Amino acid sequence: MAEALSRSGKARLGRMVVYGCLIVVALVYLMPLWVMVVTSLKPLDEIYSGSFIGLPKVLTFDAWRAAWSEACIGTECTGLKPYFVNSLLMVIPAVVLSTGIGAINGYILTKWKFPGANFVFGLLLFGCFLPYQAILIPMARTLGLLGLAGSIPGLVAVHASYGICFTTLFFRNYFVSLPDELTKAAMVDGAGFFRIFWSVILPTSIPIIVVSCIWQFTQIWNDFLFGVSFTSGSNSPITVALNNIVNVTTGRKQYNVDMAAAMIAAIPTLVVYIVAGRYFVRGLTAGAVKG
Amino acid sequence: MSKFIATALAATMLMPIAARAEGQIEVLHHWVSQSEVEALNVIRKALEAKGFQWKDSAVGGMSGANAQQALRARLTAGDPPGAMQFLGWEGVQWAEQGVVRDLNDLAQAGGWREALAPQLLPFVTSGEAFIAAPINMHRQNWVWANKKIFDDAGIAVPKTWAELIETGKKLKEKGVVPVAMGDEPWQIGIIFDALLSDLNGPEFYQKTAVDLDPEALGSPEMVKVFDTLREIRGLVDDNFVGRDWAVATGMVINGEAAMQFMGDWAKGEFLAKGLKPNQDFYCFATPGKVTSFQYLIDSFGMFTVKDETVQQAQVALAETIMDPQVQKDFNRIKGSIPARNDVSVDDFDDCAKLGFQERATAIEKGSMQGAMTHGFAAKPEFASVFSDVAAQFFVGKMSSEDAVKMLVSGIDNAR
Amino acid sequence: MSASTHMSSRLAGWLPRLVVAPSLLIVIVTVYLFILWTGVISVTSSKFVPTYDFVGLDQYVRLWATPRWHTAVANLFIFSVLFLALSTGLGLLLAILLDQNIRVEGALRAIYLYPMALSFIVTGTAWKWIMNPGLGIQKVVTDLGWTTFRFDWITDPQMAIYTVVVAGVWQSSGFAMAIFLAGLRGIDNSVIKAAQIEGASLPLIYRQIIIPMLRPAMLSVIVLLSYIAIKSFDLVLALTNGGPGTATELPSTFMFSATFRRNQMGVGAASAMMMLMTVAAIIIPYLYSELREQKNG
Repeated sequence: MAEALSRSGKARLGRMVVYGCLIVVALVYLMPLWVMVVTSLKPLDEIYSGSFIGLPKVLTFDAWRAAWSEACIGTECTGLKPYFVNSLLMVIPAVVLSTGIGAINGYILTKWKFPGANFVFGLLLFGCFLPYQAILIPMARTLGLLGLAGSIPGLVAVHASYGICFTTLFFRNYFVSLPDELTKAAMVDGAGFFRIFWSVILPTSIPIIVVSCIWQFTQIWNDFLFGVSFTSGSNSPITVALNNIVNVTTGRKQYNVDMAAAMIAAIPTLVVYIVAGRYFVRGLTAGAVKG
Repeated sequence: MSKFIATALAATMLMPIAARAEGQIEVLHHWVSQSEVEALNVIRKALEAKGFQWKDSAVGGMSGANAQQALRARLTAGDPPGAMQFLGWEGVQWAEQGVVRDLNDLAQAGGWREALAPQLLPFVTSGEAFIAAPINMHRQNWVWANKKIFDDAGIAVPKTWAELIETGKKLKEKGVVPVAMGDEPWQIGIIFDALLSDLNGPEFYQKTAVDLDPEALGSPEMVKVFDTLREIRGLVDDNFVGRDWAVATGMVINGEAAMQFMGDWAKGEFLAKGLKPNQDFYCFATPGKVTSFQYLIDSFGMFTVKDETVQQAQVALAETIMDPQVQKDFNRIKGSIPARNDVSVDDFDDCAKLGFQERATAIEKGSMQGAMTHGFAAKPEFASVFSDVAAQFFVGKMSSEDAVKMLVSGIDNAR
Repeated sequence: MSASTHMSSRLAGWLPRLVVAPSLLIVIVTVYLFILWTGVISVTSSKFVPTYDFVGLDQYVRLWATPRWHTAVANLFIFSVLFLALSTGLGLLLAILLDQNIRVEGALRAIYLYPMALSFIVTGTAWKWIMNPGLGIQKVVTDLGWTTFRFDWITDPQMAIYTVVVAGVWQSSGFAMAIFLAGLRGIDNSVIKAAQIEGASLPLIYRQIIIPMLRPAMLSVIVLLSYIAIKSFDLVLALTNGGPGTATELPSTFMFSATFRRNQMGVGAASAMMMLMTVAAIIIPYLYSELREQKNG
C-alpha cells in the first residue's frame, strides 16, 4: 500500500516535471512574439525612448491600422492590403499546381516504376537543395523569353517549378508505403492509369496532401528572393511590401508598424498551422516520415 | 455571339483607361522611409502636374542592393523600368552596357554641366553621354553633437581629431557615452572615410580610396588611420551592436550620448523634435587640416525603351528633377542640399547653409570628394574590402599593422 | 515487381513516362541547366554583368583568397552542425514529452510550431533586442539583482554565430518536433507495453526501443533541416547583417553580396558552385544508399 502510494507520488512528480519542462520551453518560444506584440501596441516615441521589452505605457492600435491600410510602400500609401491579395493570388495556384504535380509524380515513381525511375527521383530530389541566389539571372531570362516577366503568373510558375522537388519527395515516400495490391486489384477490374490515380490513390492520400500543402504554403508565402526579383511595384507579394516597410535606409524605423506588419503578413501561415496543425502531425504519421 | 459582344464592349470600355496610361513611367527606387517618400513625392507631384503618370516600384533594403538585384532581373528579362535611382557607379556601369538613354540634348539645353560641381560629373556622364539626372547631395562627414552636454562640460567644438578624442575621454569620465553609433559596416565606414582625408589630407584620400595606390595603402599614414579608429572604438559603448543609426541619433538628442558621426540625413531626427541647429544641437564637419566635403548623390537614370509615350515621360521626369524649384523643395525635406550649385539655400536651415558654404570652399581646395562608403570612390569590389577590414578591425582585437596588411592583400585579391 | 509489366498496351506502358516527362523537363532546365550556366559564369571574368571569356579557375583562386569566404565556410560548418544537433535534440525531447498524454497538447504544439510561420525579416529585429546586452535578457537579469550575469554573444565576433544558431533552433525545432511526434504516433503501443511488463524503465524503453524505431523520422528531419541550414539567408541578414564585422557571414549571404553588391559575379558563381558541390557530396551518397536499400528490400 505504502509502496503504491509512493509510486503514484513519484508518477505525479514525473508528470509535474514533464509539464514544467513543456511550459518553460513554451514561454521561451513565445518571447519573441511577446516582444513583437507589445512593440506593435506602443507609440513610436515610447519605443525610441528605450522601452523595448516592457508593457506599453500607452496602448494604441494605430500601428496595426497603419500597417494594414495606410503605411507607405514607396509613394503608394496603401498599406499591406493589396499585396496581401497578390500573395493569395500567387500562393493558391502555386500550391495547387506543385502539390498536384507532386502527387502524380509520386504515383508514377512508386506504382508505375519504369527503368531509371529511381534516377529520375534522385534528379528531382537534388533540386530541393539548390541555392536559389545562384539561379536568379538565368531564371529572369527564361521568364522574359516566356513573356512572364514581372507578373504574378510568372512567380507562380517559378514557385511551382521548384516546389515539384519537395512535393514529389513527400508523395513518393507516402505512396511507397501503400500496398501494391491496391493498384493491382483496380487494374484487374479494368481501371486505367488516370482512373486508378483518381479513384484509388487520391482518396487515400488526404494526410499527405495536407502535409504538402502546409509545407508549400509556408515556403511560398514567406519567400522574398523570388518575389523581389521577378515582380515589381503593384504586383509584388506581401514579403516584398513588408521588406519595404521594414527596411529603411536614411529614415527612422517605425518599429511598431514593422511589428504589426510582420504579424499581419504571418496571419495566413499561422492560421494554416493552427487549423491544420492536427492534420499535419496526422499526415506526417501516415507516411511522410517513412523516408 | 454574345461572347463576342461582351469582348467588344470590354475593349471599348478599356479604351479610356489605355488613353490615360499614356505617358506613364515606372520608377524603380529604394526610398521607403517616411522622409524619403515625402521628398520623392515632390518629384512625383511635379511630374503629374505635367500630365504624366508615375508608377511606383519601391524595393527597399540593403542600401539599394535589393533594388539592384530587381533591376538586374528586369534587364535580363528584357523588361526594364522607365527610370531607376542610381547610387555610386551603378549608372555608369549600366551605361557601359548600353542600356541607358543618353540625356545629352536635355543637358545641353538645360545647362546641366555648368550647374553641377565638376567632381560630380564622373557619376552622371559616360564618355560624351549624360546618363543620369542628380537630384540631391548629401554630405557624409558630419558630426552631430548635443549642445547642452558640450556647454555643461565647458568644451568647444573640437578642431582636430586629437582634440575630439580628448573631449570624448573627458565626457566618458562624466558618464556620458562620447560617441553613439551602431556596428553596421557603413556606420564604421563613415568614420574611416573621414579619417583618411582629415588625418592625411585630401591627396591621401585620392591615392587610397580612389586610385588604390599600393604604396599609400600600406603606408604608416594608413596605420595612423587605424590607430585613430581604435581610439574612437574606446569612445563607443558596448551595446552598439545591432543599433540602428536613428536610435544612435536618439541617444544624442536625449543626452545619453554626446556625438554621432553621420551623414546629414541625421538632421531630420533633430528637426522632427523641434530642435534648432546651434541652439539645441551642433552640426560640424569632421575636423581636418583641410575641411573635407565627402558627398554622395542620388540620381535618376532612364533606360532605353521602345514605347514612345514612356520616352516622353522620361524627358519630362529628367527635366522635373533638374528643375531648381523641385531641387529646393525636395532637399528641404530630405535633409540634403541641391545637386545644382546655382540653387539658393537661403530658406534652408543653418546646417544646410554651412554645408553649402563649405562645399564651395571644398571645390576650390580639392577636398570635395566622393564618399567611399556609399560607393562614390573606388568601385564596389574594392570599396567592400575597405569596409570589411574597417568593420572587422573595429569590432575585433586586430592590430593596426595587421589591418593594413589585410587591406593591401584584400585589394590585390580583388584586382 | 512493378505494375507496369502487367500492361499490355504499348501506349499505356509509355503513359507514366509521358506524364512525368514535363516535370523532369522543368527540373532539368530550372535546376541542371541553370547550374551549368552558373558553372560557366564561374570560369569567366564576369563582374557587373555576365561576360563569356574563359579565365580558368581564377575566380575560385580569388574566392579562396578572400578572408570573408573562409569565415563563411567556417560559420556554415559551426552553424549546420549545431543547428542540426540542437534542433533535432530539442525536437525529439519535446515530441517525447508531448507524447505523454498531455492535456493542452494542441496549444503547446501550436506554440512550438508558430516560429516557422513568421517571416524572419522582422522576427530578427525582436531577437536582436532580446540578445542586445543593454536592452534584452542581460539587462532584465542584471536589473533583477544578478549583476554579474552576462549574455552579450551578439557583440562578440567570436560568439555571434551562436546567436544565429539560437534563433535558427527557435525557428525550426518545432518542425522537427512535429515530425518526431508523428513518428512516435506511428509506433505500435504493444511494443512498449510488452517491454513494461518485462520490467524495463521508461527511459530505458525510449533509449533502447523507441528512439531506434524513429530512424526514418530522423532521416526526414535531417534532410529538411539541412535544406533550411543551407538556405539560411534572411536569418543572418535580419539578426546580425553578417556582423559584427564579418563574423556571421554565411556562404549564402556571401554569394548574394558578391553578385549584387560587390560586382564580383564570377566570384559569386564560384561560391555557388562550391556550395552545390558540398551539397552534392552529402546528398548523393545518402540518396544512393536510400534508393538501393529500397530496391533490395
